[in-house]
Amino acid sequence: MTTDELDPLIHVPTRLKIVATLAALPDGDTLSFTRLQDMIGLTPGNLIIHLRKLEEADYISSEKARNGTVSITTVALTGHGRKALGAYTQALRDLLGGL
Amino acid sequence: MNPTPDTAASAGNGGNGGNFDPRQAAALLDQTTQQARRKLAPSPPWLLAARAVAVLAALGAIWLSVRGQHPYRGPTGTDIPILIAFIILNFAATVGVREHAMAGVRGATRFRPAEIIILVLAFAATVVFMAAAGVGFARYPTTVLIVPGLAYAAIMAARAGWRGCAGGLAVAAVGVVGAFAGPAGSWAVAAVGLCAVLLGKAAAIAWRQRRSVGQP
Repeated sequence: MTTDELDPLIHVPTRLKIVATLAALPDGDTLSFTRLQDMIGLTPGNLIIHLRKLEEADYISSEKARNGTVSITTVALTGHGRKALGAYTQALRDLLGGL
Repeated sequence: MNPTPDTAASAGNGGNGGNFDPRQAAALLDQTTQQARRKLAPSPPWLLAARAVAVLAALGAIWLSVRGQHPYRGPTGTDIPILIAFIILNFAATVGVREHAMAGVRGATRFRPAEIIILVLAFAATVVFMAAAGVGFARYPTTVLIVPGLAYAAIMAARAGWRGCAGGLAVAAVGVVGAFAGPAGSWAVAAVGLCAVLLGKAAAIAWRQRRSVGQP
């Protein structure tokens, strides 16, 4: 097994942190963009770039809700994203077991 | 927290991991998961352990003050305000920590208004029923735990939250056992039983938070 078999969308430090953080939430729960940003420690622009990539692959979903004059963006790991993280974790385990 | 390489650079180049070593990836995955579990835990183990010690001290002190009473008269006038203050402090600390941990989180983890109403009604109805039936709280203190414990277990079962369901049933069980332990003994049962339930929950959460993602 080689590192090529690791999902390239997840096998990037920042995106791995995003996906792992969202996976800590129970299925169906969402996290606000600002709380995620606070937990990961990224600039908003940087976080948006990575979230967009993950959303394009259907690994996460985002929703924008308006609360009066304030707009709140929430993100969540999709079922597809949870499976992808599971497969990535298994691939890492196999890879490290073989090293 | 360890600094992590990449960010926009790898996002721009298609997001391949570059020189991201699998060992580093495994360590980062473990570290991030454990940190997120800790930060998002509505009931952190340290709070549960502190509550366990406090409940043992508060209810144990009452037991010490009533165990020598013949005939049984119940807690003294100074015990009750201390107990009420303890309950309020305990509630405030729990809600405060929970709100801090759940900031920005939406979804099933949060209690719905209907569920909060059910829990409050379960507690209030028990107190009203005991007063109406002439059953003194000071004589059967643990009976107030039975219905709220069962209500909590039912709510958690409806959410498929089996650990929470077990916790609710354990609280109800403490209530039932205490009801058969006699007026003075029920305070000891409440002290030890609730302390054990809280410590058990703290241990289960701590174990889950520390469990490595790499473990099958």
